[in-house]
Amino acid sequence: MRLKLISCEVLFREMCDACARSPHQVDLEFLPKGLHDLGGKAMAAKVQEAVDRTPEGAYEAILLGYGLCGNGLDGLTARHTRLVLPRAHDCIALLMGSRERYQAYFEANPGTFYHSTGWLERGKGLQQLTHNTVGFDESLEAMIRKYGEDNGRYLYQEMTRYRSQYRKLTFIETGLEAGGKFIAEAAAEARENGWSFERLPGDLAWLRRMVEGKWAETEFVVAGPGQRIAASYDTRVVKVQE
Amino acid sequence: MPDPVKLREAVIEGDWKTAAAVTQAAIAAGVAPLAIVTGYLVPAMDEVGRRFECEEYFVPEMLLSARAMKASMDIVRPLLAAAGAEPVGRVVIGTVKGDLHDIGKNLVASMLEGGGFEVIDLGADVAPERFIEAAAANSANLVALSALLTVTMTSMKTTIDAFQAAGLREKVKIMVGGAPVTQQFADAIGADGYGQSAGAAVAVARKLVAA
Repeated sequence: MRLKLISCEVLFREMCDACARSPHQVDLEFLPKGLHDLGGKAMAAKVQEAVDRTPEGAYEAILLGYGLCGNGLDGLTARHTRLVLPRAHDCIALLMGSRERYQAYFEANPGTFYHSTGWLERGKGLQQLTHNTVGFDESLEAMIRKYGEDNGRYLYQEMTRYRSQYRKLTFIETGLEAGGKFIAEAAAEARENGWSFERLPGDLAWLRRMVEGKWAETEFVVAGPGQRIAASYDTRVVKVQE
Repeated sequence: MPDPVKLREAVIEGDWKTAAAVTQAAIAAGVAPLAIVTGYLVPAMDEVGRRFECEEYFVPEMLLSARAMKASMDIVRPLLAAAGAEPVGRVVIGTVKGDLHDIGKNLVASMLEGGGFEVIDLGADVAPERFIEAAAANSANLVALSALLTVTMTSMKTTIDAFQAAGLREKVKIMVGGAPVTQQFADAIGADGYGQSAGAAVAVARKLVAA
């Protein structure tokens, strides 16, 4: 099969690895992590643009390296080529290898901040695509410069308060961590914020099944030409609508 | 005496010190506490909400305006209570279990207070039982649930179901909000209302308690 994969850049290493092993020919396109910060509707429009750019008749399917991602994939419509999307709330579920494992871990570990190779090397505000996250990555000095000593300090405290509300940083390991630098960086971030640190073995089998063309109904939603992907508000995460 | 109109400006500009000073002076000069809220604070926050919608203001500006409004409310609140002013409603607000995001929820809480509500803010990661206890203990007539993750949105349904199981569903109106929440979702889980933004939330809350 010839397949097109449109994926978030946060999954860059994991997707490249999976595609390299696939028996099929996969053309890859990565979209900026910043789409995550745009909010559901705006992100959905950008992903749709990427889908719409795909030439007709070139591929048997367009694979989506995403989850529902805060409704960023809600409303995505298949044009001439079917769309395949994992039934995942987000990329953390994908890296863990199943939505059940993610749900169980999430509930058992409240206050956990998740990281992976992509979140570390591509997750920071490299490209400010939106006003929604203005202020969240700024230093105390920058806030004081912009808003004055009193307001600047107050804002910095408010916008970094989440750090004291999280308790743990979990790094999801997939065996693609070049020489240990990612683990070291994640561990350092945990220390800086006073969080505990856990290395959790991830599982790339779900991603691999997507690029191998094994789209079981329980794990993937497949939208045929003219059909829409929508949030289903149940444990299956997404559904297809006419 | 500083012109009370300066209070509206101070809130819009995010200047809490001026907001507090003008409020004190206005009270001393005999301006009614309720007039301060409805005449100056509410219109100020409406304008702040409008600027956020048109992307003139971002979260930092909203936070500074809420801080200024809070500085004024801290002076006015005890006076309203002493005058026996009844709140428009009593609302228990929180971010649902499993979710730690609270900036949006905090903004809504501030806007609701400015809008005349007595607000009981339970913080984040709030289990259904805590919402129920707080609603009962405070004779709340409204419960407002916030979530920022599709993963934790299910806790909204669990919370509504818990009110049902406790025989308290009829006693409160329940509204939901947060970035991934939609009207459709609100309908699907049996919520009474949905707020698409902080400003919209106040209007929805007012309608729900008036019903």
